[in-house]
Amino acid sequence: MERLGYELAELPRWNCCGTVYSLSTDDLMRHVAPVRNFVRVQEMGEGRLVTLCAMCYNTLRRSAQFVSADPERLQRINAFMDEEPDYRGGVEVLHLLQVLRDEITFEAVEAKVERPLYGLRVAPYYGCMLLRPRGVGIDDPDRPETMELLFEHLGAEAVDTPHRVECCGAYQTVADPGLARERVAEIVGAASRRGADLIVTSCPLCTYNLERHQLVAGDGRGTGARHASHVSRHGIPVLYFTQLLAFALGVPEEELGFADAAIDPRPALSQRVGG
Amino acid sequence: MADRIDSGTLRIPAREPDFVRRVEELSGEDVFACYQCGKCSAGCPFTSGMDLLPAEVLRLLQLGDGRVLGARSPWVCASCLACGVRCPKGVDIAKVMEALRLFALRRGETGLRLGDIPPGVPQIALVGATRKLTP
Repeated sequence: MERLGYELAELPRWNCCGTVYSLSTDDLMRHVAPVRNFVRVQEMGEGRLVTLCAMCYNTLRRSAQFVSADPERLQRINAFMDEEPDYRGGVEVLHLLQVLRDEITFEAVEAKVERPLYGLRVAPYYGCMLLRPRGVGIDDPDRPETMELLFEHLGAEAVDTPHRVECCGAYQTVADPGLARERVAEIVGAASRRGADLIVTSCPLCTYNLERHQLVAGDGRGTGARHASHVSRHGIPVLYFTQLLAFALGVPEEELGFADAAIDPRPALSQRVGG
Repeated sequence: MADRIDSGTLRIPAREPDFVRRVEELSGEDVFACYQCGKCSAGCPFTSGMDLLPAEVLRLLQLGDGRVLGARSPWVCASCLACGVRCPKGVDIAKVMEALRLFALRRGETGLRLGDIPPGVPQIALVGATRKLTP
């Protein structure tokens, strides 16, 4: 972000948001963790909270809306958290993609590109929590274009894939990994058939599922073996959008965690024209 | 019941058991708004693991059919919200699925046995799964 002339300050004593938003009407307890984070933002004298994660974004943004919609709810949560100052409302939750698109602007990002991604075919994968429900999502729920535009500004070609807004299996990867494997085989299979060099995500759980279950599906050993024909043996590398962005902005490769990826993205990245 | 028919929504009079009302309370959704177009079922990425399609879940609720309470579908639902953004009647079906899970969870059932958790799953998935699938 420094390279883009933008400063983000880490929230002191931040806590986990709970990862999933409660969809029930009577579960006030589930809003305590998000509201505690909003109290931290308030203490900093700030009004906006930026997150890198689609699940945090969804949970925090919806909780902010939920407590703002009804002063009585907020009062009860504040009363419960009697060790904390009262949250007064008004914190705005943003995903980093929104900051890049709406404040920094993709044009300004493009002007800072040092390693243009010419010739690289990148498949954006949005998943669920960044786009749904309407009124929370950062883009059209069925036809988003935020990541496509960003990657094009970085010099890459955005590959259109049919399952980019469909669920990867999410937390069912814990309860029923076979379900997640089935989803990932379909998502990655389509990206592979359309010639994607890389899949790029905006959610850490999508990243895990797409990498992990791709390997199981592709190595012919797991129960996903029947999908093996769709998935290349070596798989398609999965990167977080921030990794691809930082790479294009010229951040040294050693700082980008490529060596930790389950499927090494470096061979794909070196295929870019002039790479 | 008569006032409900006046409101323009067809209800099945006198046969609506308590669990339907409870599901509506927990979800905040009107299950009788559904007119069975099937868009939710068509777009759901998890139907391969479901015993009842999402539209069928809503239909059984409308009929007050208690078999919906033993269905596997709410436990297969991953709250991906694809159904809700496509519903032409504005029913947030994921909320109905959550209400059905809570109905069972608050009676001590569980959708996840801790011993079955595969090794190496990340925290974000563990927290999500335990919040959605355990009491």
